[in-house]
Amino acid sequence: MGLEMLPDESRYTVGALKEQWPCREPQLRQLNAVLSPTLPNPPALVAYGAQATGKSSIVRSYLETSRQRHVIVQCKECVTGRHLLERTAAAVHQSLQTEAVKGDAETYTGRCENISALVSHLQRMLRQVDHYVLVFDGIDRQREAPPTLLPALARLGEFITNLTTLFIVRHAPPRFLHHPGVPHIHFPSYTRNQSIRILSNEPLDIFESSFPEDMDYDEETHAEDKDWLWPRFCAAVWDSLAQSCARDLSSFRDVCHKLWRPFVAPIHKGDFGTRDFSRLLVAQRKLFQDESALSDSIIATPTAQTSVVKSKSHDLPYYAKYILLAAYLASSNPARLDQIYFMKSTERKRRKKGGGTARSGGGKPSQNRKLPRHLLAPSPFPLDRLLSILYAILPHDFRSTIDVYAQIATLASLRLLVRAGGIGGGDPLEAGGKWKVGPAVSWEYVQNLARTLDFGLLDYIAE
Amino acid sequence: MEYEKGYVFQPKDTRPAKKRKTESQGLHASWQLRKKAYEEAWQIQNSRIEDALASIHSKALEDVTTYLNEIVETPLPSRIPTGIVLSGPGSASSNSLSSRVASSVQSHKRRLYVTLDSGSAPHLKAVLKVLIQKATASVAEDEDDDELATISRKGPRLLNYDLQILYEYVRDRNIEQVVVSFPDTEALGSALLSELLELLHSWLDRIPFVCLFNVATSVDFLQQRLSRGAVRCLNGRLFDAAPSSAEAQLVFSAIAHPDARLWVGPTLLASALERQSDYIQSIDELVDIVQYAYMSCYYANALSIFLDPSVKSDSIPADHFEALRNLDSSKAFVESMIENGNTTRARDLLESNDNLLAEVQEQMAHGKASLTKMTTALDVVRTIQDTLPNTPTSLKSNLFIQAMTCKLRGSAMMRTMLLSVRKAQSDVAAALMGSVCAADIADDIKEDITSLKGQLAELVAGSTAKSQPLRSEDDIGSSTVRTTVVAQKVHLSKQKSQLSKQDAAYTEILRKFSDHLEAYFDSSFIDPQSLPFHEIFIYDHKSPHREVFTPRPRHAVERALTSPHDYLDCDCCAPEKGEDGEATLSSTQPAAAVLYQLYLESGNLINVSDLWQAFQAVMGGEKEEGDLMVLFQRALAELRYLGMVKSTRKRADHVAKVAWRGL
Repeated sequence: MGLEMLPDESRYTVGALKEQWPCREPQLRQLNAVLSPTLPNPPALVAYGAQATGKSSIVRSYLETSRQRHVIVQCKECVTGRHLLERTAAAVHQSLQTEAVKGDAETYTGRCENISALVSHLQRMLRQVDHYVLVFDGIDRQREAPPTLLPALARLGEFITNLTTLFIVRHAPPRFLHHPGVPHIHFPSYTRNQSIRILSNEPLDIFESSFPEDMDYDEETHAEDKDWLWPRFCAAVWDSLAQSCARDLSSFRDVCHKLWRPFVAPIHKGDFGTRDFSRLLVAQRKLFQDESALSDSIIATPTAQTSVVKSKSHDLPYYAKYILLAAYLASSNPARLDQIYFMKSTERKRRKKGGGTARSGGGKPSQNRKLPRHLLAPSPFPLDRLLSILYAILPHDFRSTIDVYAQIATLASLRLLVRAGGIGGGDPLEAGGKWKVGPAVSWEYVQNLARTLDFGLLDYIAE
Repeated sequence: MEYEKGYVFQPKDTRPAKKRKTESQGLHASWQLRKKAYEEAWQIQNSRIEDALASIHSKALEDVTTYLNEIVETPLPSRIPTGIVLSGPGSASSNSLSSRVASSVQSHKRRLYVTLDSGSAPHLKAVLKVLIQKATASVAEDEDDDELATISRKGPRLLNYDLQILYEYVRDRNIEQVVVSFPDTEALGSALLSELLELLHSWLDRIPFVCLFNVATSVDFLQQRLSRGAVRCLNGRLFDAAPSSAEAQLVFSAIAHPDARLWVGPTLLASALERQSDYIQSIDELVDIVQYAYMSCYYANALSIFLDPSVKSDSIPADHFEALRNLDSSKAFVESMIENGNTTRARDLLESNDNLLAEVQEQMAHGKASLTKMTTALDVVRTIQDTLPNTPTSLKSNLFIQAMTCKLRGSAMMRTMLLSVRKAQSDVAAALMGSVCAADIADDIKEDITSLKGQLAELVAGSTAKSQPLRSEDDIGSSTVRTTVVAQKVHLSKQKSQLSKQDAAYTEILRKFSDHLEAYFDSSFIDPQSLPFHEIFIYDHKSPHREVFTPRPRHAVERALTSPHDYLDCDCCAPEKGEDGEATLSSTQPAAAVLYQLYLESGNLINVSDLWQAFQAVMGGEKEEGDLMVLFQRALAELRYLGMVKSTRKRADHVAKVAWRGL
């Protein structure tokens, strides 16, 4: 289908949008070709592409600019499949209500339990409409979707002739709609040059509030300078960090925004001029080598690290620490070695690390290689084993009271101890239920814990 | 009767046949009075503790509320603003910071506060249901006329987990902020939490959400558990709640308040505080312990009637005075009176109840005053430790416990402290004198120290070398060790370096000061056990608390099963003498006990048929096999019910041993 065939009006729409969405002209043309009101429209349509490739925004702004009747359903806001159907029906109803003020007495009850109900609702509501576009944004990540949802939605257009269903998905496997002949529009990831070009549309300021007085500087040169400096900076970020770890546009933008302030700090101080890009880059090369900018964190400012040190005062009670240590030992040591490691009556005769016995022979590697135990997943243990290890490792006598069980319950609610299957694993009162240490209890964590208690953890860990 | 579903029971005679004792007798007669006195005393004490706890979180609370206000004014569009409160593992208590935040937010009209705890949240739908229910219910209660608006909403009915409901509610009422608080963040499933956060984030442009996490472990742990997308949704700020040890100290100082009617004794307090650091970190437990101490003192000790200072002699039954005269400390008091030759007074006390009451009240007031003096002296010790360089400040509770058990006077800690006072330089000494004078101490000592302070100030003013503080003679720095080698022997000789006149005068002042301090501490740290009638106003019994607060359920069950005779006290299964308490099997014991002892002797997997034969051999004798089998099966079922055995997949005819004895 050549572009020449398109009417002028549509060409105008594409022309307006391609300024707003740079590097997306082919996709806009395809959309226009498929959804143009003057041409016949397909019943279903798929727009797919990786994260942050502009699928949703472009579809939305195209539909808005071309003034087509449409509704966009955000699938990530829908909790169940039924929720999706009800919201779809309600949204279509609402969009028609607001458009047609003349108030056709279409009463809508809102019951939409299954797909067939949706079909009949839509059939009734769209009777008078000449063309309607229904967009499901992110339908591939819908929660609790029934397996027939996608194929059924794809065939909506067969029942309602004036409806086009548009699916926006991240990944379109072959025949995922179980329906042949559905046109697909691919939104490829932005390349290096495209990403940099898009980002350079909105450069950040070099000077946040006021210009330094000693420089002869005004608003105009500032705008010029930042237009010059920002794309070069973005290119440097792409080459050093983003091309391997933050390829999509939004995370690339995040990284650039995070690094920009520290990057231009020497300009603030007056060490470099605004156009000394290469010297600035060399001076600030630490920024591009450090990968911490790539990881997200809940606490926005890294200066908040100080309070983490303070929070050490909130550590666990004394016995909770020992219980956790015992749990770790029970999780990582095999039960058959318990007698060697925890018997109090016998003198411990353990082979030290590396020191073999006479029989262990030369350096011949054993047939089945053994992984260090702390790299393996924790194995479940019964509660009595934990308690007996606790008795064995405590440096003093111990009177077991209800408090121990309360501690175990507290640790369980903190997910430091978790229940692990076994017969009747779900029931805490079932005898012989198994436990294991939670995922947060790593080897390093336990080592720290042992250090605070002055406990020789290595003496008890089976190698 | 058959056609009635229920009927009203109308007894003909209201009085029960058996005559009840309506009036209590003996020492129990004053129970009502004591109960009233307890309620009064505990009310005062409780409000003191409440005040103390309210003050501790005030700073963090203020931080959180200013943060919430900030967000209302400058909303963050792209991420959910999140407050992360670092609090200890025992933070779910009613006094914790989060509940205080809740009450302060709830008072705000245009804000919603929703608590989502782990119990209400098996899956996303349920969480959303709870969230919407709580949010839309919290304001509607006091605005009844608005309730119609929510019901008569236009358009179709929504599913009850649809956040659209909340959105419309927020829009209709101009709500500025919806605070979603997670009191036990760790207990929520990580997948669920991530999903919920992402969902809330997608609604953020319509509903102004704010999250408050209560984190007991660490932020890193929370971050590890969340998905990457969820982490990107949050913009957090850290708040640090006061640690539970600080809370405990505050509660302690409320307990040892000078106006308290009842003093909680050192052993009880020590065990409570120790348990606090060993096991629990919830401050409520400590408050409970103190309350229980009050209750057991007032309810069980008849003499607690004298704790009420306004009690009149005619409202006290006579036998209470007899009990009072039989107290150990009261006997010693009268005896010492006789030894001092004050026989008429002693006779008065023994014969007249009114005189005794007056004396008791006077002595108790005196005793409490000396205890108050002791706590003031503890404060003085702490201020001195604060002022002295290189001296750690002891916890007030530790000092109190040592002082009450009479271990503080002449202890190594006190001696070192006084020694370092003697070695102090003049600037430190001036600060010390100032802080000691500022404390609430007896006037005569205060005068002495003030005059010493004046002398010191004069001396320092007249000193020639103003840049250097004066040094004491006792300071190690002012003497040098000289080594001489004479005939291959090393002699070490100490030599005082030359001290200026001012230094000598300063040393004199400092020695006087430390002597005054020593005398003051000696007079303050009395033995509380030597106070007359101390049994009344110091409560120090550990055993009731031990039974109530730290029971040993597992031990009790095991003990009952191994030695049923201790509980049944029957003649038939008394242990034979000469075997000194060794549990023996006999057919007269309960079947479950017999089976448990056989169970203890067996290995991990128990063959039930063998067990049955052993059981039969023990119980044997004249009983029918069928009867025995009934007993056996019931006993086995009981063991299973107690969680001792369970069936195993390994072998069909075996049971697995699950519980070991003595854990």
